[in-house]
Amino acid sequence: MKLSEAWQLSRIPYGEVVYRSIAEEKGRMWWGAFGRNHPGKEIQDELELTKRALRIAKFDKLVVAIFNIVVSAAPFASSFLGAPVLNLSSSISLSLAITFGFTMLYAIQTLSAFVNAEPSVLLSTLPIGRDDFSLITIFSFIRSIDYMVIGSILSQVILTAYLTSSPIATLIMLGASALNAVFAVAVALWFSKVFQDNLLRGGRSKINIVLRLIFILMWGLLLVGVGLMFSVPLYIVPNLETMLLSVGHISNMLLRLLYPFSAGTVIGATTYSNVPFTMILQAAVAMVTYTLLAVMASKWILGTIKRISKEGGVKITRVTAKDFSVKTHRPLLGYILKDLKVASRNPATAFFFVLPVIETIIIALLISNFETLRTSVVLVATFMGGIFALLLPLALLSAEGRGLEYTKTLPISSRRIILSKAMLSTATYVTVPLALVGLSLVKPAASFSAVLIPFLITIAIASASIIEIKLFLGTVVKGKINAIINDLEKLVVGIFTILIPECAYAASFLTTFDQSFSLLVMAGTVLVELVVGFYVLRR
Amino acid sequence: MQSGVSVATEPLIETFGLTKKFGSVRALTDLNLRVMPGEIYGLLGPNGAGKTTAIKTILGLLEPTSGWLKIAGFSPTKNLIEVKSKIGYVAENPIVYDSLSPRDFLEFVASIRKLNQAKTNATIAHLANAFDMTQYFDSPIATLSHGMKQKVALIASFIHQPPILLFDEALNGLDAKSSRIVKDLVSFQAQKGGAVLFSTHIMEVAEKICNRIGVIHQGKVIAEGTLEQLRGKTGGNDGTLEEVFLKLTHEEAEVADTSKMLREAFLENEIV
Repeated sequence: MKLSEAWQLSRIPYGEVVYRSIAEEKGRMWWGAFGRNHPGKEIQDELELTKRALRIAKFDKLVVAIFNIVVSAAPFASSFLGAPVLNLSSSISLSLAITFGFTMLYAIQTLSAFVNAEPSVLLSTLPIGRDDFSLITIFSFIRSIDYMVIGSILSQVILTAYLTSSPIATLIMLGASALNAVFAVAVALWFSKVFQDNLLRGGRSKINIVLRLIFILMWGLLLVGVGLMFSVPLYIVPNLETMLLSVGHISNMLLRLLYPFSAGTVIGATTYSNVPFTMILQAAVAMVTYTLLAVMASKWILGTIKRISKEGGVKITRVTAKDFSVKTHRPLLGYILKDLKVASRNPATAFFFVLPVIETIIIALLISNFETLRTSVVLVATFMGGIFALLLPLALLSAEGRGLEYTKTLPISSRRIILSKAMLSTATYVTVPLALVGLSLVKPAASFSAVLIPFLITIAIASASIIEIKLFLGTVVKGKINAIINDLEKLVVGIFTILIPECAYAASFLTTFDQSFSLLVMAGTVLVELVVGFYVLRR
Repeated sequence: MQSGVSVATEPLIETFGLTKKFGSVRALTDLNLRVMPGEIYGLLGPNGAGKTTAIKTILGLLEPTSGWLKIAGFSPTKNLIEVKSKIGYVAENPIVYDSLSPRDFLEFVASIRKLNQAKTNATIAHLANAFDMTQYFDSPIATLSHGMKQKVALIASFIHQPPILLFDEALNGLDAKSSRIVKDLVSFQAQKGGAVLFSTHIMEVAEKICNRIGVIHQGKVIAEGTLEQLRGKTGGNDGTLEEVFLKLTHEEAEVADTSKMLREAFLENEIV
């Protein structure tokens, strides 16, 4: 089979992967059809959705590729703003680290649908040779990540060429970017496969549950890491540069040996004239080792994809049930437990359960710069943590997926569903006030408001979640893009619900300089919002 | 055909002039149905005739464009929760939460339906044993075969022992043993005074388990009655349900022509 022919045919399994991931979103897109207001819309939308699947995927890939280009170029900003040559090694290292993280995150989202092999079933029934079939599967895999990988490689190579004017440096950068992509895809594939295997194996093993939690935590922490690296390149880059170019310390040598800092050091060395030979040698040896590792990783990727297409990828273990008993709960708790199980078993939504960790990290990072627990910092920190908490209700709606079809047949009101999702998102935020109480033992609070404000914000988050979901259920949207815009609108309403009590506190404090009074004003605002939330819920 | 124990006079399912349009497409036209307690009503029709739309409208998942309906005395447009609590539903394609195991799923359904734990466990144990679920009860539903998923959906439809069962091609993908069990369960449902609306395009199923059959074609019930009554409407006293059906839908001549055309096309070619 010709390569071009295989590339054309790979559209079929790729389209199936895309359709599946979009079908997962159906729950979110069609939540508006839950009530009696718009029943039946989904049947009309089905055809439209199918038609748009590939177009939407292309748009998605393009947006993600553009974002990847921006994040890969961000660390080079310090080179433009400061001394261009001095920051090169660390800019390259950071750029590679960020694109590694981001490519991996995106690939995990797509590959979860890919690793279950079903998309290839369509082609497997046709008289196509084994090798050709594997080639088609590999191409369909490449299609899901092509734009973003090519985009990041091009941006890194062009920026290096521009900053160094060295063909050798540019060539090494090309190699390093390619290695980076291979590593990112290999880790994503491994992660998706392990996650999927762990889920599909079934059973009620506690080890499986613990493993799943570890994977979720890894993913969440990775996102925080990427976020931090992206937001503070100017702060990290100069410190990193000093470390990379210091000869003496053993820790610096270890850093140079570590990917992607070895790549940064080698490329930097082609431009700097005063880099010691031993340093270049160490980094070069490390790079050669990483190249060999990338070759092995590529072989593993190809082998795994071939196995997925031939064997179905996952070995399922059937566990004999000892009994057929179930534990019934009150409907609200039953729904919460179902949401927890469904969302934690979907790689795309599982990560939201590490929100408490993320929120606490953000607050700890912000507060660590100050000697006392200032009220102003607490206001900013709780607000930022609150934004993360408001993502959860929408994620829980997405996680319903096609199962929503069944839920619609059960005697449960949308009011109870809203309450369950609002309670879950509020529960994830409770860690923030608790963490702040803990922090106040280490760092003295400037005033009692600093400790009480987060508790009031928790109530505001409950109201925001109720209003956000209620607004969401009242809308029927067609297509993913409209769904995203719709999400953003609701998110903005939620953000304002948190912002209003904070503004009320700030405004009354600036006019009266009375913390107790300001706190009372804030508490009053929060209670009014809660009443509004419950009113909206009852309507 | 089964003989139901129909004693009550109030129908458990009643629709009048039910019409459902999707844009310019008319999926149901003036549907009038009455399913009495103890009755197994077969909704028989070809693919795309409107069987699924009819069932979804009765369940309250779709709002009728015009007409009205009552389920056990309740209107789905006014008392949706009450209506849903009185119905056990199995969809044509078993749609359940794929990431949950059957145990997790049934636990969720039983909790939402506010069922008594001990009673529910006894019902689940009987049904799970009958459907040979031992090896599959703790596996993610995503890993189960179509038939197994259908069994999970069937158990979920029976756990609250509802007065009304709405089965949309519920035997799809089931093996012979499981099909037999479902037929028995449907029969028991009728014997204890419940109502079953059973949509199918398989004639044998309708012929064997239904008390009364409604032939639905292009969104309209074109004939209704027992098999004998339907035979009478086609002007004969014998013939299988398939023959009666083709006569009622005026497809007899068309099927004969198609069969002739295919015979000519396929018999000319030798098997390679």
